Amino acid sequence: MSSQPEDTAKQVAALRAELEALRRRDAEFRANMVQEFLDHGERNTYVHVLHEERAALIKREQESFRDLEELTRKLEAEGGKVAALQAELARIKGSVAWMLSAPFRSLGGEPAAAPAGQTAAHAPVEGAPFTYYLHTSPFRIYRQKSFKLRGWAWPQDGRAVTAVRVNIGGRVFAGRHGIEEPEVIARYGPQPANPRPGFEVTFETPPGRHSLSVEAQIEGKEWRWIMRTTVWCEPEAR
Amino acid sequence: MSADAKERMQESSIAIGERSSYKRTWDLLAQEPDQAALAVAGHTDEATLELTAKGFIDTLRTTTGVGPDDVVLEIGCGIARVGKPLSRECLHWFGADISGVMLSHAAERTRGLPNVTLVELATVGLQEFPRDAFDLVYCTIVFMHLFEWDRYRYVEEAFRVLRPGGRCYFDNFPLDSKHGWSVFMESARYPVERRPSHLSMSSSREELGIYLRKAGFADVQVRDLPNELIAATGRKPD
Repeated sequence: MSSQPEDTAKQVAALRAELEALRRRDAEFRANMVQEFLDHGERNTYVHVLHEERAALIKREQESFRDLEELTRKLEAEGGKVAALQAELARIKGSVAWMLSAPFRSLGGEPAAAPAGQTAAHAPVEGAPFTYYLHTSPFRIYRQKSFKLRGWAWPQDGRAVTAVRVNIGGRVFAGRHGIEEPEVIARYGPQPANPRPGFEVTFETPPGRHSLSVEAQIEGKEWRWIMRTTVWCEPEAR
Repeated sequence: MSADAKERMQESSIAIGERSSYKRTWDLLAQEPDQAALAVAGHTDEATLELTAKGFIDTLRTTTGVGPDDVVLEIGCGIARVGKPLSRECLHWFGADISGVMLSHAAERTRGLPNVTLVELATVGLQEFPRDAFDLVYCTIVFMHLFEWDRYRYVEEAFRVLRPGGRCYFDNFPLDSKHGWSVFMESARYPVERRPSHLSMSSSREELGIYLRKAGFADVQVRDLPNELIAATGRKPD
């Protein structure tokens, strides 16, 4: 037969355990209640449908930028082949055999002259390795009259960028550089020559297909391209 | 009112609107997992994320307490830096964030954890959650990115969703600490027209205390933490 204090202690322990179990059941009930509220709340509402549609649209936009970039690269590769063929043609036209056969070709008439290419107001510059990122993707169909390209860059050899510009089809648009990019510096570490590596350039986008290069001036001297690509500007939607 | 004055007013409301566009701001900042971690925690490696989370959980233990039967809600959970380890110490952890993109990283980091639920908030507030449901609601490293009205909105909402007797925790950085002043001066250096919408803004001890008292919390305490943050805690009366 157990003593009375022992019985009391057992009863207290049993009550405590029951209370703990009750608290746990209460907490589990509330956790389930929240889950059910969530399941039958927003997930069945129009807002949730709109969220899903928005997410799908963002995904589609990202995919189309990727497709566009891939197509751009393919076209640039084809453009390279065309340039090689044109060089080969020029070499043939400069050859002795071509000059000797000129009288015979004139009997059949001169071929139509090729359309003149766009004269670049600014000669293309050389490239250089840069660490860079463009906040506004240039891989797009340009439907507005102008576009603001924003990003950051620094040459991998540690020299300073002193100006940034965009060259689109030979037309040059000066940009603004020296913009703070604290997150970038936090991630990549201090860039002594380029403590504010951000830039932005607004350039016009005349209808048609153009070469676009983002260029940086190094230490006030030579210009080097950071990236270049081909872009399309659609006149229909203007 | 003159046309010029109306225009100025309109411009001003656009600027304030940008900071209020929390969903857009944080969806943009969270595009990449590393970028998201950097934006919410200031670092990207998992070991440091875990270490800082443990530090915060210790703070919760000594301020509000955390128990194995607690149903917990984090407001602005980001990538679930805190939620991932905290879910091992509570019954169920709910992470709410206004950025769906941020939550996609949180989902990746908490995959396989059975007592974790992530909820995308449609706008400022906790309208997705029922009343009287949680034992503990906390919000850390979030208030600095919110306007004062929205900070208070979350405090009011925390009161609604907490069960009677439930506890809350909110923190921010004050101006009168070395760290707080350096954050303030760093932000002050941005050109006015280039201030990012997520720039950190401080709180005073009085501000946090008033929010909690006005919302109806009892036992309100505002403390200085060792990491130079200030934290307000309170209890929903029974």
